[in-house]
Amino acid sequence: MAQLTESVKPADARGRTAPPRTARRRKVRAGGAGKQHNGGPIAYAFLILAALVSLFPLYWTVVAASHTDTDIVTPPTPLLPGSHLIDNLKIVWDQVDMTKALVNSTIVAGTVAISTVLFATLAGFAFAKLEFRGRNALLTIVVATMTVPPQLTVIPLYQIITDAGWVGHLQSVILPSLVAAFGVFFMRQFLSEALPIELVEAARVDGAHSLRIIWHVVFPIARPAMAVLGMLVFVQSWNDFFWPFIALSQQNPTVQVALAGVGSGNHQIDHAVVVCAALVATLPLLLVFAVLGKQIVSGITAGAVKS
Amino acid sequence: MRTSGRTRRTAVIAVAGLATCATLITGCSSDSKDDAKGDSGKSSSGEQITLHIGDFGSFGYDDKTGAKLFSEYERLHPNIKIVEDNVSDGQQYWDSLKLHLQQNSGLDDIQAIEIGYIAEAIQPNLASKFVDFKTVKGFNVDDWVSYKEKEATTSDGKVIGVGTDIGPTAICYRTDFFKQAGLPTDPAQVAALWNGDWSKFVSVGEQFKAKAPSGVAFTDSAGGLFNAVLSSQSAQYSDESGKLVYDSSPGVQTAWNLSAKAIKEGLTAKLQQFDSNNTWSAAFKTGKFATVACPSWMIGQVAANSGPANKGKWDIAQPPQAGNWGGSFLAVPKSGKHVAEATAFAQWLTAAAQEVKVFQKFGNIPSNKAGLADPAVQNATNDYFGTAGAPIGKIFSTTANAIQPAPIGPKDGTVKDIITKNGLLDMEQRGTSADKAWSNVKAQVKDKVGE
Amino acid sequence: MATSAPPAGWRSRLYRLDTKASPYAYIAPFFLVFAAFGLFPLIYTGWLSLHHVELGQSGSGTWVGFDNYTSLWDNQFFWKALRNTFTLGVISTVPQLLMALGLAHLLNYKLRARGFFRVAVLAPYATSIAAAALVFVQLFNPDYGMINQFLGHVGVHDIRWDSSKWPAQIAISAIVTWRWTGYNALIYLAAMQAVPADLYEAAALDGASRWRQFLSVTIPSIRPTIFFTIIVSTIGATQLFGEPLIYGGGVGPTGGTDHQYQTLSLYMYDKGWQVGQLGQASAVAWVMLLILLLIGAAQLLVMRANRRKLGG
Repeated sequence: MAQLTESVKPADARGRTAPPRTARRRKVRAGGAGKQHNGGPIAYAFLILAALVSLFPLYWTVVAASHTDTDIVTPPTPLLPGSHLIDNLKIVWDQVDMTKALVNSTIVAGTVAISTVLFATLAGFAFAKLEFRGRNALLTIVVATMTVPPQLTVIPLYQIITDAGWVGHLQSVILPSLVAAFGVFFMRQFLSEALPIELVEAARVDGAHSLRIIWHVVFPIARPAMAVLGMLVFVQSWNDFFWPFIALSQQNPTVQVALAGVGSGNHQIDHAVVVCAALVATLPLLLVFAVLGKQIVSGITAGAVKS
Repeated sequence: MRTSGRTRRTAVIAVAGLATCATLITGCSSDSKDDAKGDSGKSSSGEQITLHIGDFGSFGYDDKTGAKLFSEYERLHPNIKIVEDNVSDGQQYWDSLKLHLQQNSGLDDIQAIEIGYIAEAIQPNLASKFVDFKTVKGFNVDDWVSYKEKEATTSDGKVIGVGTDIGPTAICYRTDFFKQAGLPTDPAQVAALWNGDWSKFVSVGEQFKAKAPSGVAFTDSAGGLFNAVLSSQSAQYSDESGKLVYDSSPGVQTAWNLSAKAIKEGLTAKLQQFDSNNTWSAAFKTGKFATVACPSWMIGQVAANSGPANKGKWDIAQPPQAGNWGGSFLAVPKSGKHVAEATAFAQWLTAAAQEVKVFQKFGNIPSNKAGLADPAVQNATNDYFGTAGAPIGKIFSTTANAIQPAPIGPKDGTVKDIITKNGLLDMEQRGTSADKAWSNVKAQVKDKVGE
Repeated sequence: MATSAPPAGWRSRLYRLDTKASPYAYIAPFFLVFAAFGLFPLIYTGWLSLHHVELGQSGSGTWVGFDNYTSLWDNQFFWKALRNTFTLGVISTVPQLLMALGLAHLLNYKLRARGFFRVAVLAPYATSIAAAALVFVQLFNPDYGMINQFLGHVGVHDIRWDSSKWPAQIAISAIVTWRWTGYNALIYLAAMQAVPADLYEAAALDGASRWRQFLSVTIPSIRPTIFFTIIVSTIGATQLFGEPLIYGGGVGPTGGTDHQYQTLSLYMYDKGWQVGQLGQASAVAWVMLLILLLIGAAQLLVMRANRRKLGG
């Protein structure tokens, strides 16, 4: 029986086809592999269109960030990058401590993403596959907490962090975001469809306790969802403005807080500098996408056990 | 027991993961400079302290693009280091400042307050959080132009802020468009066209329209016109007790009627000042209007938005009636660690000599009387405007001295936004009739202010 | 399943403890953090909604009972915001989810540059909303925007995207759709990756076309995830805030000069932050919460009924 659990260890995630271990198991393969048709020209046409529409504002950010303020507010609007990128970058770094902001945001969004993904997977697994008293009621509460509008709760939240002495410190933005109802609900829905109950039961029968099941059964299957959740939460945390702006200051800012201190010119906002700072704030996210995006390919154990 | 071996490893990794988070968190807290916020040393004299000044937009104090007042003060006081906590957007700044004041946390040693919010700040809830300058040595209300410190005075006579700049308002106009429309172009003659009465300004607009170059409106926006007219009125939104009386205020009625008339006659370019989509700023360059009400801080805007190609086409004339539009105060929260030092610094920043330096660098008109009278201000000209450089010092200081103070109230800003953005702009953009627009305004004021 | 006997002795007790207690241990972090940072604000907001209290005021304000709620009943701006929230929610959510489903299906193909496409569709979610708004505002500019220029060629003239109610709502939902389609597509993609391959093989053997397979295999298999996105999008639509605020610029908080596109969240923000009437704003927040709970309950019932009908 130990073999059975063995055969779903995460190492298999790389090898797209794991050899069948026992007669009870059938071929295990990358979730997509069997069904993945090659994309036809129409698929490519649609995707290229979608990519263009998606990327254009980002491209325009590059254009605007490399012109002067006057250039970009005057019709005709420029469509090609200009030569002022370095000048604008200098102004950004002159006006705010962007280096510190980038480091802070990496710490905040990284911690929040890791913790949210971890706790959401644990809770999502419990809600999806484990029997316990009050499960449905508790799940309903989780979903209900998502409905709380954020624009008002900052006022009492600020009272909490004042009492705790965290104003201006990064924990004021990290701690309230360590978990997300959205993540728990997402993982619960994903695992309820993707994780065959037989795998869990088999491991149980094998005597594995639940942490071991999580490590060897749940995590490998949840990997694409964990990667997607990680990306979404990282971006959300990175782009969060309203609360960090109130809790932090320009002395210890996240990127979005720093952005609020950028662009003050002589009695008017310098849009080119603002957009340039926004570009600086966006690039690290694309890097995170590129790294985590690779993890979405997989789903090794889908349908691993015959029912 | 392979199982338990594996388990232990799993557990170790999980714990290590959590520990990393924990280290990161504690790491960042000890890393935070905010420990130093207003407290990087003992306050006993001679020891190193850091003063934080919170402001918005541009005050022109900083060492990079401003008048380098921070480094100058640091030279005069070697034990003091100045850190500016700047936010571009004044509304965002004020929103979070209110919450910070309520909880007495996250405050800087000095907080700037814009004139649009000062009436809120002098209400008992907030006023009690600030140092009363009346009790501060060396402070004299009469150092400022008459209406300035009055605005920062609470009903029980406390003064919670020292005045930085003011915004005496003139009229910027395009000489080329005026010429094409058969109007005079010399500032004195132009001022004579509308001297003493804003309704004459609208009449000039009608003359302009009759012979206007195509696609050029007389003035940029009804909202701008309304603000300029109202700021010259002695009765505005509130009465002496701070109670809203906008509905029966003759000043509001005058400003509303003139603006509504300008819209009806098609004299406005239907733009929204400072709109986020830049239509307004773009319209300077493309020449969509011939006049704009010009508070002193607006001339930089006019020049930058119009661009070098339009240099010499704009000029500045005295307004029909003198009014003030804009300006700020510096206030010192009582809960700071270095209240005495912060108070002294705020007084220094707003003393005549420093306000003159900021004017020379940034064009902010001093609210300090001695600063306003300084030859450096009086004789200042601006090359972008007029044929031989417009005498902006003369124009703005003349206006500044002619301004009559008007009572203000805490809800003025709310009503102003509703009138200009939901009333007049709605008329301009959607063709709403003046009567309907006014009843909309009243309904919205009732909803927001509850009166 | 039980091919071996349960372990005996202390191990067995430990085992039973594990099955009993571990679910609670796994959900505990969520509830602990929620109790610390979510519950108090929620209750406090409810308490504020029963008071007349202003932002910046220390102390509790005056008790007014349910006045803040009852006054919403005959408040034209509240009803307008409620209607706008509903219409904006529908026109921004429905096309968005359908497009996301299609996009995810395409992204699930074996593709060249698959990684690039996946990153590209998520780019709108990462792009600074202020920068994106600048672009969209240019596109929708009634005087010289590209969209009106194009429409002019096909005989439609002078649509006021900034001030007319429906055009403005359409423009805003275009921004919402642009921002969130890729986000939902990736969520669907993750779920599609977990659909067992043999289901497709079986369907293919039965001669089902790709479209047929999409309808009869993919969609039913990822139903819980679709349910998830519907719930989350409904909540997101009810709390719609950033896009109309930035699209409106100076008239953002009031959702246009005549409140043409003011949502409930904007109305609440306008009351709470711009005007400082915390009690009234809190009442709006709680009304939003109750509306969402009602919608949620309705959705849950519909889903249950569906599942029963499909025998799933």
